[in-house]
Amino acid sequence: MKYIVCKIIKVLSSSPLGRLGAAFLLFTLFSCQKLDVNSPNDVPANDVFKNADGLRSAMVGLYNNMQQRDYYGAYYPLMSDLNSDVSTQGGYDIPALNDIGAHAVTTSNVYVEKIYLAIYRCIANANEILQAVDNISDPILSAEERKSIKGQTLALRGLAHFDALRMFGYHWDNVSALGIPVVLSVQKEKDIVTRSTVAQSYSAVLKDLNDADALLGESELTAQYANQLFVKGLLARVYLYQQNYESASSFAQAVIDDGTYALLEADKFSSIYSSRLTRESVFELSFDGQNQSFFNGVTYVRDDALRTEIFFLARQGMQEFFNSRPGDIRSGLMDFENNDESILPDGRTQKYRGEVLKDNPAYILRIAEMYLIAAEAKKLGGGGLDFLNTLRQARGMAALTGEDVQDEAAFLNAVLDERKAELNFEGHRFFDLARLGKINEVLGVDDTNAVFPIPQREITATNNTLIQNPGF
Amino acid sequence: MARKKRLYLLLQALLLSVFFPAALHAQSITVKGTVKDANGNPLQGISINVKGKSSGTSTATDGSFSLSADAGSMLEFSSVGYKTKTEKAAENISIILQETASQMADVVVVGYGTQKKSNLTGAVASIGNKDFKQQPVTNLASSIQGKLSGINVTSPSGTPGAGLLVSIRGAQNPLYVVDGIPMLSESNSALSTSFNTTGEEVGQGQNISSISDINPDDIESIEILKDASSAAIYGSRASNGVVLVTTKKGKAGKSQVGFNMYTGFQKVAKKLKFLNSTQFVNLVEEARSNDFKLYTANPDVFGAGFDATVLTDPLNYAANTGINTVWLDEVMRTAPISNYEINVKGGNDKTRFYISGGYFDQQGIVIENYFKRMNARINIDHNINDKLLIGTNISMSKSLNRRSFNDDTYSGIVTNAIGASPLMPVYDVNGNYSKFEEYQASWLSDNPVKSAREIRGTTDGYRMLGSIFAEYKISRALKFKTSWSADYASLTDKLFLSPITTDGGPIGGRATKANFLSTTWLNENILSFQKSFSKHTIGVLAGFTQQGTTSDRNALSGQGFPLGSDLSDVSVAAIITRTPVLPGGNNRLHSYLARATYDYDGKYLASFVIRADGSSRFNKGKQYGYFPSASIGWNINRESFMENNETLTALKLRASYGFTGDQEIGDYQNKPLWQPAIYNGQPGLKPKIITDPNLTWQKNKGLNVGIDFEFWNGIISGSSDYFVNTRTDLLNYVPVAGTTGFATILTNGGEVEDKGFEFNVTSRNINTKQFKWTTNFNITFQKNTLLKTPVDNQLLNAFIDLNPTHILKVGETVGSFWGIKFNGVDPQTGDATFEDLNKDGTIDDNDAQILGHARPDYFGGLTNNFRYGNFDLMIATQFSVGNKVYNLIRPVWQTLGYSNDGGLDQVYANNGITALNTWKKPGDITDIPRASFVNKNYIENSSMFVEDASFFRVRTINIGYTFSKKTLKFLNGLHIYAQVQNALLFTKYKGFDPEVSSNGGNIDRTAGVDYAAYPPARTFTFGFNLNF
Repeated sequence: MKYIVCKIIKVLSSSPLGRLGAAFLLFTLFSCQKLDVNSPNDVPANDVFKNADGLRSAMVGLYNNMQQRDYYGAYYPLMSDLNSDVSTQGGYDIPALNDIGAHAVTTSNVYVEKIYLAIYRCIANANEILQAVDNISDPILSAEERKSIKGQTLALRGLAHFDALRMFGYHWDNVSALGIPVVLSVQKEKDIVTRSTVAQSYSAVLKDLNDADALLGESELTAQYANQLFVKGLLARVYLYQQNYESASSFAQAVIDDGTYALLEADKFSSIYSSRLTRESVFELSFDGQNQSFFNGVTYVRDDALRTEIFFLARQGMQEFFNSRPGDIRSGLMDFENNDESILPDGRTQKYRGEVLKDNPAYILRIAEMYLIAAEAKKLGGGGLDFLNTLRQARGMAALTGEDVQDEAAFLNAVLDERKAELNFEGHRFFDLARLGKINEVLGVDDTNAVFPIPQREITATNNTLIQNPGF
Repeated sequence: MARKKRLYLLLQALLLSVFFPAALHAQSITVKGTVKDANGNPLQGISINVKGKSSGTSTATDGSFSLSADAGSMLEFSSVGYKTKTEKAAENISIILQETASQMADVVVVGYGTQKKSNLTGAVASIGNKDFKQQPVTNLASSIQGKLSGINVTSPSGTPGAGLLVSIRGAQNPLYVVDGIPMLSESNSALSTSFNTTGEEVGQGQNISSISDINPDDIESIEILKDASSAAIYGSRASNGVVLVTTKKGKAGKSQVGFNMYTGFQKVAKKLKFLNSTQFVNLVEEARSNDFKLYTANPDVFGAGFDATVLTDPLNYAANTGINTVWLDEVMRTAPISNYEINVKGGNDKTRFYISGGYFDQQGIVIENYFKRMNARINIDHNINDKLLIGTNISMSKSLNRRSFNDDTYSGIVTNAIGASPLMPVYDVNGNYSKFEEYQASWLSDNPVKSAREIRGTTDGYRMLGSIFAEYKISRALKFKTSWSADYASLTDKLFLSPITTDGGPIGGRATKANFLSTTWLNENILSFQKSFSKHTIGVLAGFTQQGTTSDRNALSGQGFPLGSDLSDVSVAAIITRTPVLPGGNNRLHSYLARATYDYDGKYLASFVIRADGSSRFNKGKQYGYFPSASIGWNINRESFMENNETLTALKLRASYGFTGDQEIGDYQNKPLWQPAIYNGQPGLKPKIITDPNLTWQKNKGLNVGIDFEFWNGIISGSSDYFVNTRTDLLNYVPVAGTTGFATILTNGGEVEDKGFEFNVTSRNINTKQFKWTTNFNITFQKNTLLKTPVDNQLLNAFIDLNPTHILKVGETVGSFWGIKFNGVDPQTGDATFEDLNKDGTIDDNDAQILGHARPDYFGGLTNNFRYGNFDLMIATQFSVGNKVYNLIRPVWQTLGYSNDGGLDQVYANNGITALNTWKKPGDITDIPRASFVNKNYIENSSMFVEDASFFRVRTINIGYTFSKKTLKFLNGLHIYAQVQNALLFTKYKGFDPEVSSNGGNIDRTAGVDYAAYPPARTFTFGFNLNF
């Protein structure tokens, strides 16, 4: 049709009167306007990685994806704490929230569904960058910068896979088949990735982190970015989960020994949360007034907030826990008194204050965790107590002696308590209980609840090729 | 070359004939005369056409006419309501026209033209101004509510200015075409959504209908193209049916001035009743004592270490404070409504005009809320000469909408008022809003009156719809029409949460401002041909249309406003917090269309339509969709064997089959895109969508078989249709594996079938001069089935932070409710019992099943019109059977004393009076479980809250009086009336209204969820229509 009309117009244009006719046809019978339109506010995917600037923009985009509400914008750490003895749910009787608070997560839980999506969104974003990073030829892209971007991306992909593994996989069981889908390449819309084994999942994580460690050697990244010490610290964490205590302790030791990051004095300790990017933070995902996080909105909201307005309350047991720890200045970060009556006897964490700007960061890795990992990995017999005591003393508590912890079991309990005191509301407790097989002992629910279910949405979307965790 | 030259000559000849038509006339005479009815009264507006020619005129007020015609030619005198008469042209003739009840000669508007009803081969429903002019409505969709078969119009919300949900044969959101211009009809307000406490968008809320920009007073007729063959001329846009709106036009003759007004008041039609202070505290005590009995029997029943003091210690509140607030009374009011409209129409042989202006003011039945609309319209057409007609239709409107905050969502004003404690006063002793934190219901997000007054949201809109057209008669048979039109819409949303509100408090006030601007232009060029050869009539129409839409949005949020200043614009804010990137839009459509009709002696009819649409929303190679259709008709009464049948005076069989399409997917869904992102103050890019490279048109197949009949020349008339519509290659977001980095992809897949049977009949029961009684009845049976879906058993949530409420399952209805089956209350224990579907001993999500659907099995309406002397009475009723509603707000007002860990200070929410019927002792038979303080003795997502929402509604009762012309000196006509809308409702539904739907109802996959949507009003009005 278009062809014929075009022909006619061409023919007509050969005479003056014909030109008038052509104009008429053009105006009323045929439009030369194209049917292709472009969005003014988006960039076609093919145009992103054209040069160094595109690569840099994509790197920024990946950090922005890590900030999704359902990931490090609040929900990944807070929902996992809600599934532990640290936190309990508030809210307007939201069924999905109640289920997590009761450690009875169902397969259609909307929060879990979104967390799963958020994590894999980051992995897919990282894969896009990794597919392009070595193919961009742009003279202004230095080798160091290319290595740095690649290293950061690998570090974040490793973190995301590890976060998926500890939430959805049997991470405590190295021989289990129930790992997670490991995604290492850009996916097409109908591609489906099945679950790898736990061992395969770990090795994918470790490979990314080791590669990142090698690539980030020369970069001078601050704690807002996935820097080399963060990678080493994360390696320590991964090895600890994998029960490779030797590697865990050596990486933790390396981060401590580096000296860039250090524990604050007891009187300045609370500035970790009131200030930003203190020396304790190895990797702190930054938010600001124009790019707010959700931490304050779901843990504090305002002074006289009701239970229904807050999603994540401090469980009452935390009050007794801190009462049994004389001198622990961290108890000041948990308020069980100045709350609306409806919240009592539960309380609220004070870690995410800042009602005006709501720029509370995500504390992805802090130096204190390195002391805890070193302590746990070295064990009582290997000098772990010194690391534990360093942290305890920095937090206003007396050092433990051999009297207090007479055997490895007692020591492990002391480390676990210390982790709970230090890392509550930062998304560690549920995974600690799971990796050490203490879900039933501490939470009183069946051990199959040591992991979150694969969302039903994923099983439906993959035509049942994704295998559900037992018990769901 | 020779061939080219011939083509060139041919085209030049064509162009010459367009611009310089040869004028050849036979000898003509001037015909003068008058037209009267059987009683000798002169008839105005009778159209007179010279047969076989395009010339014609119409009679003046005194019935006189004058026109020139060839000597010996035949003149045809016709008008709606009269039998057409043919007379030979002579210098002086007087004509008497006989009245007829037959509608077969009525002219109905079809796409790109008009047709006599007797010649229609498709399924077209039509309603004229006379059917709704005495029944003022606020939205054009209300004028067809309950009146036409196959069309289900529901009011998902009672909010002033709210959109109505129009479903044509089961498909929602039809295309609206106003005077030939396809009109933007979706809601464009950014305040349409609802947010939860963390500022996250949780669902679609109030739908602001842009169709409400059209003043119903200006409407001459509404035609609905129901089947594929009649809608196919609109091809790509027509998959959900087409609503053609024709506005009033001027007529040659004396200028007429009309003034119409009505005024009245509205009250909530049904007020849910809640427990008073004493009953409320009693319920809590009942729940505590029930639980204490369980605890004494088994101290571990609430878990080990349960602290029983919450069951035994005195509550920290008591009923004897003298406060007994009825919250619905505090947030609702009796609200005025009024409408004023003035119009002037007239013209002469050459120029005709219609000018109108209107003002509409509807205060909401929820405090603070209102909707106001001002509009103006100019319709003019002018004959430059016998050949060339030009004209314009322009309408402008401005609407002001003071929103009811988070309307139709779970944090709205009404929703809040439902849960509030009766012990809480509106104001404290100092006159300040009382603090909701200090009272007994933790469900609240704020003092409802404070929310209504201190959260100020407005949506102001401007709308301009305009077109200009020229129509040229190339020859007797050939006509060319070109038109250019534009639809301009602008909206400004403002929302301000003052520093004394809960959400605005800690941050010193919060404000958002959003703008939306959209321009659509459309050019249509249509060549039409019509010619009769003896008994054959052929019509051909061909055209090209092109259309483009550009839209732009932006939004800003800020916080921190000078205390006590009352400043509320976002530009004053101390900190700009969010400038989200909002989608601007841009799309184009190129279409070629053609229609051929054939008619043999009015007996055998056939029509063939094809439209090809090219859309910018798809990739190259997938852009064009072709939508053909064919239909046939047989006027059996014209056959000789029926010609003298006095009983069955008209009988027509119709059949049609055709295709239409759909591309309503939004812009830029066909290419993978990256979107702006930010980290640490630096701008960046991140992936936005994953796309299907093969994305293309949704295709809908439609079969229609129908019959039209009339008995005794229209004393009883009606029609009946059977239809099967299959929507294939459905454009839908389907889930993809999360490992792709995305949750869903827009793709073609799935198939939905709507089939049904419609019947309508009009009976002129009594038709004497003194007393007339007409009954109109219609009924539609329909069934919707999901035949195919790319991902079966997909669970859907009406609000994203709720458990799944719906399921998409092959073989079931789209929008089927999903939940656990409630098996009643155990008479021994008072426990709510549920079906353990998988028999695993626990009741959980795995026991969920389909619990019904939101669509009715059948629906219809019955309207009776009476006229006795100068009095008239109209009673319009409507019914719907088989539709259910997921009443998800009832679990909030039927919590039965549940505390939600509120201890001795708070329970979850106040309850409705149904909570008085709780199970109290073994042996009680009731459907309300035992009150329970510690645990919930109910499950929200269960059939406990899926209710039968079948209803019978007396929609309108209207009584009027027409003053006879003799008694009026200066006036030409005066009609006064009083009416009640939404007069009576019979239903078992326990909420405000069975039609409500909290997410605007626009998404049929998650339809029929009630989260305390804005309740509908009962409206009492008094008005008059005055003509000078």
